[in-house]
Amino acid sequence: MSKQAKAANGGDHFTRWLVIGMVALVVVTGVVFSITSSSTKAAESFTALEGFTKGEAVTATINPAAGSGLTLNPGAPVTIDLWEDPQCPVCRTFETSLGEYIETMVRSKKATVNYHVLSFLGPESVRAANAMMCAADEGHYLDFHKAIYTVQPELENSGFFSNENLVKIGDYVGLTSKTFTDCVTQGSKLDLVKAHEDSMPTYKVVGTPTVFINGKLWERTSNGFDLNEFRLAVEAG
Amino acid sequence: MVAFNQKYQRLFTLVARLVIGGVLLVAGGLKAFVPAEAASAVAAYKILPTQIAHILGYALPWFEIAIGLLLIIGVAVRLSAMASGAIMVVFIAAIISVWARGILIDCGCFGGGGAIDPSKAAEVHRTYAIEIARDLGLALLALYLYFFPYGLFSVEKIAITNEEM
Repeated sequence: MSKQAKAANGGDHFTRWLVIGMVALVVVTGVVFSITSSSTKAAESFTALEGFTKGEAVTATINPAAGSGLTLNPGAPVTIDLWEDPQCPVCRTFETSLGEYIETMVRSKKATVNYHVLSFLGPESVRAANAMMCAADEGHYLDFHKAIYTVQPELENSGFFSNENLVKIGDYVGLTSKTFTDCVTQGSKLDLVKAHEDSMPTYKVVGTPTVFINGKLWERTSNGFDLNEFRLAVEAG
Repeated sequence: MVAFNQKYQRLFTLVARLVIGGVLLVAGGLKAFVPAEAASAVAAYKILPTQIAHILGYALPWFEIAIGLLLIIGVAVRLSAMASGAIMVVFIAAIISVWARGILIDCGCFGGGGAIDPSKAAEVHRTYAIEIARDLGLALLALYLYFFPYGLFSVEKIAITNEEM
């Protein structure tokens, strides 16, 4: 090997380490930036709940005939079955577009709604689902449900749906009783959460959000969730 | 074939560098400033534990940007080619893995990502095939750069030629 080639080789090693070092520096700086900007966002989301007023209490019953779903306003002419995961971003879109309409249908006693709270997106879905069912016991499923989607973090299982934060969401909604906070922190509804999850295959539910109107799968034709399309489907039964 | 390659190799190398570098730079750039999306896109593959997937999701776009820039300006081309070839192989493996497990996701390759409506299964499978083909093409280009790293318009000037490597 000539002297020149050796020098080139040595130079190559130096360049290699320099390059690896620079790349590592860029990546580390980027990661720090990304994590910081994500966590700031999560903390800000609580402000969206300021001034939240809860509606009138609506009794929720567990309906073994509908996959242990939480039934609100039984006996109405039309029945909507809603399958959601509290961490699913598309469920948030669904809630934004159609949540208010569904809530009105329940409160005006025009529709029976069976809520199926799924939790396949991970441990934080399980915790959030448990808290939602605790809120159902207090008669404020609708309110808590709305609040969950208002603060839903962009990132799944980022640590945001901790029991502590779920109690805090309850605070904003107006659920401050010891029964509620104990139910959240002790995971009192975990068996029911599992029952909801386990009923998926029975109803051939493979994703969220899934909607059945009078037992028939709602197949939307529009790209998003169109309120008029949904309303017509509900009115047609 | 060999003679043809010898004649135009420095040009081919430049083109390969620009193609891989450009794709990486765009892919990384689109994801780097929406970190939460990138992190959940990686988690959607359900290969790594969620926490680790998120960290990878934060890091990957920046890594792509760094490698892409090195290829475009022409510094440490062989090393960068090895890195980009390796991540292409990882991407291909990840897509095959979700396909085999029947998971329907948007790859999140250029931002976005996450689960997809089950009614779109056929469409998603076609997309998987296209993505695998694309990444395979890029991996082959990277392999070419591994053998012929020295081309036109490189910042890094190398005294020795490809034949001597």
